[in-house]
Amino acid sequence: MPNIGVYVCHCGLNIAGTVDVERVAEYAKTLPDVVVAKHYKYICSEPGQRMIQEDIRAYGLERVVIAACSPRMHEETFRKTVAEAGLNPYLLEVVNLREHCSWAHSDQPEKATEKAKELVRMGVARARLLEPLEKRVISVEKNVLVVGGGIAGIEASLDLANAGFKVYLVEKAPSIGGRMAQLDKTFPTLDCSACILTPKMVDVAKHSNIKLLTNAEVTNVSGFVGNYEVTVLKKPRYVDEDKCVGCGLCTEACPVKIPDKFNEGLSQTHAISIYSPHAVPKVAIINPEHCLRLKYGKEVCGRCLKTCEAKAINFEQQPENIQLKVGAIILAVGADVFDAAKIPELGYGRFKNVISNIQFERISDASGPTGGKILCPETGKPPRSIVFIQCVGSRDKRFHEYCCRVGCMISLKQAILAREKLGGDVEIYICYNDIRAFGKGYEEFYRRARDLNINFLAGIPSEIRSAPDGSLCVTVYEKVVNKLLEIHADLVVLSCGIVPRKDFNKISETFHVSRSSDGFLLEAHPKLRPLETSTAGIFLAGACQGPKDIPDSVAHASGAAAKVIELLSKGEFEIEPLKAVVNPDFCSGCGICKSICPFDAIEMKTETANEEKLVAEVIEVKCQGCGACASACPTHAIKMQHYTDEQILAQIHAALIAK
Amino acid sequence: MSLVDLMSMAKPNEEMRKKILQKLHEELAYCFQCAKCTSGCTAFKLLELVPHEIMRLTKLGFIEELITSEIIWTCATCLKCVERCPQNVSPYHVIIALRNIAVKQEAKIPEAYLKAVSQILETGLAQTIEKVTTKKMESLDRQKLHLPEIKHPTETFRTTFLKILEEHEL
Repeated sequence: MPNIGVYVCHCGLNIAGTVDVERVAEYAKTLPDVVVAKHYKYICSEPGQRMIQEDIRAYGLERVVIAACSPRMHEETFRKTVAEAGLNPYLLEVVNLREHCSWAHSDQPEKATEKAKELVRMGVARARLLEPLEKRVISVEKNVLVVGGGIAGIEASLDLANAGFKVYLVEKAPSIGGRMAQLDKTFPTLDCSACILTPKMVDVAKHSNIKLLTNAEVTNVSGFVGNYEVTVLKKPRYVDEDKCVGCGLCTEACPVKIPDKFNEGLSQTHAISIYSPHAVPKVAIINPEHCLRLKYGKEVCGRCLKTCEAKAINFEQQPENIQLKVGAIILAVGADVFDAAKIPELGYGRFKNVISNIQFERISDASGPTGGKILCPETGKPPRSIVFIQCVGSRDKRFHEYCCRVGCMISLKQAILAREKLGGDVEIYICYNDIRAFGKGYEEFYRRARDLNINFLAGIPSEIRSAPDGSLCVTVYEKVVNKLLEIHADLVVLSCGIVPRKDFNKISETFHVSRSSDGFLLEAHPKLRPLETSTAGIFLAGACQGPKDIPDSVAHASGAAAKVIELLSKGEFEIEPLKAVVNPDFCSGCGICKSICPFDAIEMKTETANEEKLVAEVIEVKCQGCGACASACPTHAIKMQHYTDEQILAQIHAALIAK
Repeated sequence: MSLVDLMSMAKPNEEMRKKILQKLHEELAYCFQCAKCTSGCTAFKLLELVPHEIMRLTKLGFIEELITSEIIWTCATCLKCVERCPQNVSPYHVIIALRNIAVKQEAKIPEAYLKAVSQILETGLAQTIEKVTTKKMESLDRQKLHLPEIKHPTETFRTTFLKILEEHEL
């Protein structure tokens, strides 16, 4: 029987504050095959790891049991520790005495110590039966799929393309640019959004390593890390991208008017149009829901056809399915803006002069519907007083519990812009609960706003009514001066938060990524793995993971790109040996395992010797080691490596025996 | 508690605080004092009811000053505060709880409320049975209008009603 060493960690006071670690270590010495048992303040520290390595040599240890924090935390660390001392890294067993014991039973130290002893006994029982395993090496595709062409997707694509990887950038809209393209200025420096974004958009279009697919969606993803197969549906534009010069004559000729999505419905565009003034690619697109010819047939309208000198319009264009092979995927699918119509008391949708913060951006932007003049949508006149209302749809248990992280800064910025553009006479009020200015240069920006005679009112208005003079009546209780104030405003701007996209459900299904309770896409670990998803090879960038401003999105995207480079740069990588193994002699070919496998990792094949007999075969690279097949197999023909039936039964047995 | 109100030298009432927190912990714990309730409060404009202040005072335990004041009786129970609260809490329920404590402690209760209770016990109606005066200054009661007489509630109703009042005590 193997020599086993047991090490009990104090984890400072995290474990030792509740569990009597000395007694646990003493108890471990009494267990069969245990030749050494020690306790130590921090086993993960350098001297702690050295202690184990020295013992492996001194006592000739063949198995190591470490009773410490969750294996999710330090299993990888300790595997390296034992491997450096010459032991196979899979001959290590980590017993969780922190999350599963001391933290859970902090008020019952005596019972917690007893439980710790039992957990250690179980760990030793399993360790005895551990088998040495070798990591698997698989080769990878050096192409990357980036989904979403907002600032995060653009940044990630450029980083990867510059590092020499081939990038496919898929964007749902007719142009890349995303939310940032809709903004006027950016906080806290007030540099113009288009000035810093447009050059990057052009870089993407020109980069020889980037293949840009706009007006396209990913419809299917199969395969596994390093070897994903992706189907992209490129919807017809009805305009030839290579021929269109972006002159815009077709738009002028088109008789059909529709609300302009890019301008948030504040202006109208035509059934054939160029998505935005800075669109990349600058190519027209026909909206099939509104185009008369596409709706009613060949003989109808066709004015755009006659005007187009480049002969770029093609009503025969068909949807196209494009197959891609990529090694990794970055999801940079972004987020939506909260729909304020869900809060009836604020009158959004009922009063034209109650607008959302993203609509204010369009009004303030030089390329927007008013040419950059801040005008009330209803009257077309510049407002004499503006009220900003914070936390619309965020920090609100009825809608989204989280803080949107950008609302305060957006309103400060928009208030400053309004002051600059409308002059010193316009009255500006910001109704807030807390002003959160936490980023670099943000608090200074808040001070700058105060310097510009912007009035801050501590209190959230309960409702917005229309006054007889046509203005909007905002009543707010100001809790610093204890007065109920009434403001007659010409324009009310609602600071709408960032919310999960409506199609996240579909995205999470297509890419096999989970969502967190707030609805955003879930990262592998909130602190230590914020760029990865729980599916290997799929990464997150930008606001799809949670509300982010531009600096955070860019940092997140560059981080995700670096993670992809780390993964793919060698052309191959190691994966865990935790996989299912089929014993063909026992396999009856029933196929239950194939039907149950969530990763599509089992194929039924005919045996070479006997062509009538079907045998299950595990596709190694696809197998994630979940163990579903092993537990379902009626003939016990499937063994889950590192979690064999024998190992688990030994653990159960150790749990059940009398002390 | 180690808290003192230096303006009145009042100390929080720990016992009442615990009692009310036990029942309405969620209402009081999650309030983050945005004052949206007060911004829209029907009773504030006329009677200066400040719901968010009541929430904080109750949480801190300064309950005596609330139950001895008339302010808790001014709530019009329109429930706007409950409807619009971003933290899904209910100043209304806290105010009702404070009223219940006031009754239990035999603090000063506005006459109209006492009247309403005796009215219900007597007639089963919260409103008194009124006479109507016409434009010709003719006074009409139910009998003159040929309306049926309102029956007095039974003893069972009275006992049930009183029992319900008991049960709803804090």
